Amino acid sequence: MAYHTNLYLFLFLPAVLLLYQMAPRRWRSGVLLCSSYLFFASISKGLVIYLAGSTLLTYGTGLALLHLKQKCSSETAEVARAQAQNIREKFRKKEKLVLLAGIFSLVFLLGYLKYYNFFADNLNRLVERAGGASFLSLKRLAVPVGISFYTLEAIGYMMDVYWDRMIAERRPWKLALFLSFFPKMMEGPICSYSALSEQLGTGDALKAENLTHGFVRILWGLFKKMVVADRLYLMVNTVFDNYKGYSGMVIVIGAIAYTIQLYMEFSGSIDIVIGSGRLFGIVLPENFRQPFCAVNAADFWRRWHISLGVWLKTYVFYPVSVSEYVKKWNRFARKRFGKYWAKVGLSALCLFPVWFLNGLWHGAKWSYLFYGMYYFVILLIGVMAEPLGSQVRKVLHVKENSRWWRCLQIGKTWLIIFTGELFFRADTLRAGLAMFGSIFRDFDFATLWNGTILNLGLGRADLLAIVLGCIVVGIVGSLKERNRPVLDGLLQARMPLRWAVYCTLILAVVILGAYGSGYQEVDLIYAGF
Amino acid sequence: MMEKVIEILMDIDDSVDYETEERLIDDRILDSFGLISLVAEFENEFGVRIEATDMIPANFNSARAMWAMIQRLMERC
Repeated sequence: MAYHTNLYLFLFLPAVLLLYQMAPRRWRSGVLLCSSYLFFASISKGLVIYLAGSTLLTYGTGLALLHLKQKCSSETAEVARAQAQNIREKFRKKEKLVLLAGIFSLVFLLGYLKYYNFFADNLNRLVERAGGASFLSLKRLAVPVGISFYTLEAIGYMMDVYWDRMIAERRPWKLALFLSFFPKMMEGPICSYSALSEQLGTGDALKAENLTHGFVRILWGLFKKMVVADRLYLMVNTVFDNYKGYSGMVIVIGAIAYTIQLYMEFSGSIDIVIGSGRLFGIVLPENFRQPFCAVNAADFWRRWHISLGVWLKTYVFYPVSVSEYVKKWNRFARKRFGKYWAKVGLSALCLFPVWFLNGLWHGAKWSYLFYGMYYFVILLIGVMAEPLGSQVRKVLHVKENSRWWRCLQIGKTWLIIFTGELFFRADTLRAGLAMFGSIFRDFDFATLWNGTILNLGLGRADLLAIVLGCIVVGIVGSLKERNRPVLDGLLQARMPLRWAVYCTLILAVVILGAYGSGYQEVDLIYAGF
Repeated sequence: MMEKVIEILMDIDDSVDYETEERLIDDRILDSFGLISLVAEFENEFGVRIEATDMIPANFNSARAMWAMIQRLMERC
C-alpha cells in the first residue's frame, strides 16, 4: 500500500480520517497508532514483530537512562562538589553502557536483516579468491518496511535522552506512535522525538485549514510523481538496463533523466507524506529545499534529503568532531602541519564516517558505498580548495552574490549531482564505471535533435508532459527560493483562483499521469532503502 | 574575552557583523565545517572541553551565545 496508490489515497487515508474524527479525543492517538500498525502489517505482515520489538527496546533504554539520571540527581543532592563530580562520572559511565547496549541491539538487527547477505557474499568471494571454500551461507531474509528510517529515529531518541536534550517518554504508546506513524513509515522524513512528541499526543479534531493544506500538498506530490517521475521511469530503465548499447550523450541523458526522476519521485512522495500528516494537524519536517539551486555539494546536501543529513550531522558528525581522538589529532596537526592542514585532516576524519554511513544506509551495494565515498571526496576537495577559491575571487574581483558567478556554481553542482546519481542508479559499481567511461565515447550533441531520444521508451507526448511538468515544478521552486511560497499564497488566494488551480492539478494528474496501457505502477524508490 | 570570541569568528569569516548577528546557525551563515574549526579554536584558546551535547544551534547562533557557553564550560572545569 504505497502512498500514491488508490488503496492508500481513496480507502485507507479517508477511513483513518473518519475514524480519527469520530473517536473521542483521548482515543484519537490510539486510532493513529492502530492505523499505523495496520499500515505496516499490510506491507510487511508478520515482520511487525520487529517494529514492536524495536519500540520496546527503545522505550526500555529510555526508561533505564531516566532511572539512572534520577538516581544520580538524588545521590548528588546533598554531598560536596568534588564528591558529586565523582558520583556523576560513575553514573555517566553506566548511562553510556545502557546507551551503547540499546544502539548496538538496534544496529545489529538492522545490520543482520539488511546487510548480512552482502557481507557473507563478499567474504565468501574473498576466501574463494584466496583458494579457500566459501563458508557463510546466504539467507532468505525479509526486511521490514521502513526499518532504516525508524531505526535512525530510535537511535536519535536514545541519544537525545542520554545527552539530556529531552526527558525519556514514560507513555509507551506515544513512543510507539512516533516510531510507527504511518505517513512517514515508508520514506521518512527522519524525525526527532522532541519535534513531534507534542503534536502526536494532542488528539485535536480535524480542521478545515489543515485538510485543505494537506489535500493540496498531496495533490502536488501526485503531480510530481505521476506526471514526471513515473514517465521518466521508462526512459531511465531503457538506458540503464541496456547501457552497453549506448554511449556518449545518451548516457548523459540517462543520468539527467534519473536525477529528475529521483527528485520528482522522492520529493513528490514526501509531499504526499507531509500532506497526509497535515490532514491530522501534524506538521512533519521538510525534506527538500530547492536542491537544484545549490551552489556546491555541501549546499546540495543541506537541501536534499535534509532529514538524513541533519541526523548524520547531529548523531555522527558532531560527536566524532568533538571526540577525544579527533581533538588529540587536531592539537597534534596544528603544531606539526599548521592550521590549514589541521582543518583538512579534521574535516576528513569527521566526514568519512558520515559519508560511509550515508552510502551504506541506502543499501547493501558497492555502488551505494561508492556514492557515499564520491561525496566524501568532493566535499573534502571543497574544503581544500576554499582558500584558493577565495584568492581567485579576490584577484578576479568576483562578487560571490553576482548572478553569473552563482549560475556558474549551480552548473558545476549539477555536474556533480548528475555524476553521483549515475553511480547511484547503476545496477552494480562495475556498470556505473562502464557507463561513466562510455560518456566520453561517441559524444555527439546531435543526439539531442536527431530523434535518438524518441527511441528511449518515450514518445513525443510523454516528453512534452515531462517538460511541462518540469517547467511548472521549476517555477514553483524558483519562487520558493525567492521567499515566495506558492502553496501558502494559493491557500490565501480568492476562491475562484484556488479552485481553478485545484481543478487544474487534478486534471493534470488524471490526464497527464502515467497509467494505462504501456505504463506500470512504479514502486517508491526510497521505500526500498 | 568576548572580543577574543569575535576575533576567532572573524578569522573564519570576516564578512559578518558578529556584534549583532543572532542567527549564525539558523540562517546557515556558519556551516558545520566552520563549527568544528570553532570548537578547536575555543578549546585551544579558553581551555574548555566542548562535548557532543553542547553542539546545538542555541549555543552557536551568536557570539554572545558562544561566550555564554564558554563561561558555563569554564565553570564546569
